[in-house]
Amino acid sequence: MAQPLIKKDDDRDDEAEYSPFLGIEKGAVLQEARVFNDPQLDPRRCSQVITKLLYLLNQGETFTKIEATEVFFAVTKLFQSKDTGLRRMVYLMIKELSPSADEVIIVTSSLMKDMNSKTDMYRANAIRVLCRITDGTLLTQIERYLKQAIVDKNPVVASAALVSGIHLLQTNPEIVKRWSNEVQEAVQSRAALVQFHALALLHQIRQNDRLAVSKLVSNLTRGTVRSPLAQCLLIRYISQVIRESGSTQTGDRPFYDYLEGCLRHKAEMVIFEAARAITELSGVTSRELTPAITVLQLFLSSSKPVLRFAAVRTLNKVAMTHPMAVTNCNIDMESLISDQNRSIATLAITTLLKTGNESSVDRLMKQITNFMSDIADEFKIVVVEAIRSLCLKFPLKYRSLMNFLSNILREEGGFEYKKAIVDSIVILIRDIPDAKESGLLHLCEFIEDCEFTYLSTQILHFLGVEGPKTSDPSKYIRYIYNRVILENATVRASAVSTLAKFGAMVDSLKPRIFTLLRRCLFDSDDEVRDRATLYLEMLGGDGEIVETQKDVKEFLFGSLDVPLSNLETSLKNYEPSEEPFDINSVPKEVKSQPLAEKKAPNKKPTGLGAPATEPSSGIDAYEKLLSSIPEFSSFGKLFKSSAPVELTEAETEYAVNVVKHIFDGHVVFQYNCTNTIPEQLLENVTVIVDPSEAEEFAEVASRPLRSLPYDSPGQTFVAFQKPEGVPAVGKFSNILRFIVKEVDPSTGEAEEDGVEDEYQLEDLEIVAADYMLKVGVSNFRNAWETMGPDFEKVDEYGLGPRESLVEAVNAVINLLGMQPCEGTEVVPSNSRSHTCLLSGVFIGNVKVLVRLQFGLDSNREVAMKLAVRSADEAVSDTIHEIVASG
Amino acid sequence: MGQAFRKLFDAFFGNTEMRFMKLVGFNVEKVQYKNVIFTVWDVGGQEKLRPLWRHYFNNTDGLIYVVDSLDRERIGKARQEFQAIINDPFMLNSVILVFANKQDLKGAMTPLEVCEGLGLFELKNRKWHIQGTCALKGDGLYEGLDWLSSTLKEVRAAGYSSVGTSSF
Ligand SMILES: Nc1nc2c(ncn2[C@@H]2O[C@H](COP(=O)(O)OP(=O)(O)OP(=O)(O)O)[C@@H](O)[C@H]2O)c(=O)[nH]1
Ligand SMILES: [Mg+2]
Repeated sequence: MAQPLIKKDDDRDDEAEYSPFLGIEKGAVLQEARVFNDPQLDPRRCSQVITKLLYLLNQGETFTKIEATEVFFAVTKLFQSKDTGLRRMVYLMIKELSPSADEVIIVTSSLMKDMNSKTDMYRANAIRVLCRITDGTLLTQIERYLKQAIVDKNPVVASAALVSGIHLLQTNPEIVKRWSNEVQEAVQSRAALVQFHALALLHQIRQNDRLAVSKLVSNLTRGTVRSPLAQCLLIRYISQVIRESGSTQTGDRPFYDYLEGCLRHKAEMVIFEAARAITELSGVTSRELTPAITVLQLFLSSSKPVLRFAAVRTLNKVAMTHPMAVTNCNIDMESLISDQNRSIATLAITTLLKTGNESSVDRLMKQITNFMSDIADEFKIVVVEAIRSLCLKFPLKYRSLMNFLSNILREEGGFEYKKAIVDSIVILIRDIPDAKESGLLHLCEFIEDCEFTYLSTQILHFLGVEGPKTSDPSKYIRYIYNRVILENATVRASAVSTLAKFGAMVDSLKPRIFTLLRRCLFDSDDEVRDRATLYLEMLGGDGEIVETQKDVKEFLFGSLDVPLSNLETSLKNYEPSEEPFDINSVPKEVKSQPLAEKKAPNKKPTGLGAPATEPSSGIDAYEKLLSSIPEFSSFGKLFKSSAPVELTEAETEYAVNVVKHIFDGHVVFQYNCTNTIPEQLLENVTVIVDPSEAEEFAEVASRPLRSLPYDSPGQTFVAFQKPEGVPAVGKFSNILRFIVKEVDPSTGEAEEDGVEDEYQLEDLEIVAADYMLKVGVSNFRNAWETMGPDFEKVDEYGLGPRESLVEAVNAVINLLGMQPCEGTEVVPSNSRSHTCLLSGVFIGNVKVLVRLQFGLDSNREVAMKLAVRSADEAVSDTIHEIVASG
Repeated sequence: MGQAFRKLFDAFFGNTEMRFMKLVGFNVEKVQYKNVIFTVWDVGGQEKLRPLWRHYFNNTDGLIYVVDSLDRERIGKARQEFQAIINDPFMLNSVILVFANKQDLKGAMTPLEVCEGLGLFELKNRKWHIQGTCALKGDGLYEGLDWLSSTLKEVRAAGYSSVGTSSF
């Protein structure tokens, strides 16, 4: 298919030069659309403007709600014109704009009028539009007209109604099913189009009733079907009936005779459909196949490319299961190798590769070599895969096949293609021992000039495993060390690992390897140096040449036994300290949640592995993290970290939540960001915070996130100063700012240049509860007595009318952010009074106890008595202030 | 009924086929009366359609507001909607014809009562006229249109006018 695709591109270039739509621009067209409101309409002009609007919509341009509404109502005014051409454009426009249900109703009666018009074209189109915009209630009102339309003597009208039925079946199946009689009548129509659509609808109506489908099919095979398209459908339905009947016995396979009869139909599409249906019969016998193959063979030499393509594609499939049945076509196939259409040629070749015998391999390879340069990468990949399987089928032929692969590896090609070749060579090396040495050398040669980091590292890894086991490992060292000199850091690091593997396995190479590894100690890249240091240490590079220990080999060659993504997260979360990173702490279970699920509200990404449900362990992790950041290290002891608060909705491009860290004189906002766009790399990510509704706060530090790759969360921080010990509250608005770089999904590499962009986040608030730690007491009465009445403050509050006491109790608990004690947060149903006990630690480490007594009066007004005891009078007052202003 | 009359009648009260159905949306017809070509927009009166009326106000020269004179209970609501229409910025220059319909029925409000009900007397600087009608027979229709065409001719010399109707 490469060829037509390329041609199409060419066509488009030509088109662009002559396109009447060149330079059409939304704003200008919307201006032009004002002509729809003119008292005296110019139908020609209006039609032109609609054409432009439709063009814009088809190009993927979107209209805002306001624009769409304005255009829609303006278009409806064109119903006053009697110009049929214009009316037709109006129908199209309504369909394309698909306005909201409460607006579109304005055209209902006009469409209903047109649906009953004497003009066929009005009737047909009005039906299509009405069915597109209708809802269930309206549908019952117009059902009568639709049923009439299905049997309308004008085929265009009947087709419109039938096709609408097919669409409506999805939304209103009960209604459409009532039209069976009319649809059945339409199946008998003399008009081909009507028959086709009617059959499609009738089948869909009955599709869940196996018996009914089978009956429908039997009836039709006995009668005459005029429309070739309808007959193609029929053949497909027959295949389905055969499949479901489960009969694989030959001789009495139902409908086989009918299918065979279709092979003599005069329409090519019917012949092809039948031939394909036969080849796809489950357990098809060669006797059943023969007549189908015969007609397909005829198509191979047809003058129509589409028939040649259809036939060769079908035969290609047959060749996988019945290669012998296809050999008869080999001569025709071979002539297709030079077919102008490269899709056909590719399919022909791969078919031949499947059916050919050992003796024809060399000849075929020659032919393929000639044409490889003409086809697109995607077809080259198909060929490479065919050759790979051929190789495994005829191992003795590996030499010429390996040759072929190494030749094409040297030529130009994209990543996927090169990867397919490399994969094939790797498989050959693994499966055919004789192919190993030459295969490895081909790969070595390839990495000498390979632009794909991914492939280079893969090959280096493979070399490290296979190379030391060959008869002369030393010949690979040069290629590997060249990588250390010539390549980027990623490849250099891989090459260092590969060198180490050779050193570990081949004692005679050790001195050379040590020398090379020592040179790597001066590399400019951390990772390369680290690896070299590590390997030298492990292999004993500073002492004598000794045999490598077993555990060292295990480390070099064994698997890590943990999922890589888990290891990555754990490493990211690891803070440099005295304690070494422990690989045993990495979770082993594979997390395979899709991105969407990860963002589900009940599984908030808590960042840094601090689960929201365990604040005690969470705060430790946070504390460690924050104190490691120099700008924040002087803030003193972390008082409280909130649960993450989402600042974006689910399923957005960037998912951001925030954790509020409260210090005595500061707050730090930790923004946990996830980039959910694979094609983007974000850099220099910061949050611009506007504290204009938080007067007591002043920004003192901001720590940007250097880079935020796809689906790998990272953090950026902003710190504020606030009056010491005061529970200052306020509201902050947030904007995510970053530099975005496009990423090539095939290579994973980002472009050099990025653009600065911003993304609006939700506001965030610091509330009184942020200054309160939920710390419970085991015996409230004891605690209350011990605290004593020195700083007790009592007052009464009216909470206004409430739905229930439960609601009032929860509201106050949330407002204060304290820990309910002794289960007093549970309010017995229908109770008219309730006492609730709370305890907590307020900022400044002041213990607070609260007793709340609620009462409900006859007007459902809630009254509350609040008693506070704490170790600090000011704090007791503060609690009252919070409640009074809440 | 003659051809021309039939057309006029349909335009103002819906054609026979559709008359038994609620008008969901609008119906637009061009009719000629006494050398004036009217583009008549008959807009359905159901609650859910009312917010959409305003999209058709622009370029309207005249409003024909049809009131069900029998429905005393809803005259207040009719007044509310009426005032909203005529005070819309796009409608300030349109002339107003009110049909106090269903005059054939016993107990119907008189045109004068309808006038008071809608608050027509309080209108300032507006050209308006009220006409009792019976749509079933066509009574009053011509009288109303006579007023409309001559008033519009006065207002502007141009030959084309469009008129909106709305009914209660
Ligand atoms: N007796 C009597 N009945 C009338 C008269 N005019 C209309 N009707 C009846 O009132 C009912 C409603 O008439 P419509 O013209 O459909 O009312 P409408 O206000 O246009 O309704 P929508 O199109 O939904 O806005 C019909 O049954 C008419 O027969 C009249 O002058 N006298
Ligand atoms: Mg009406």
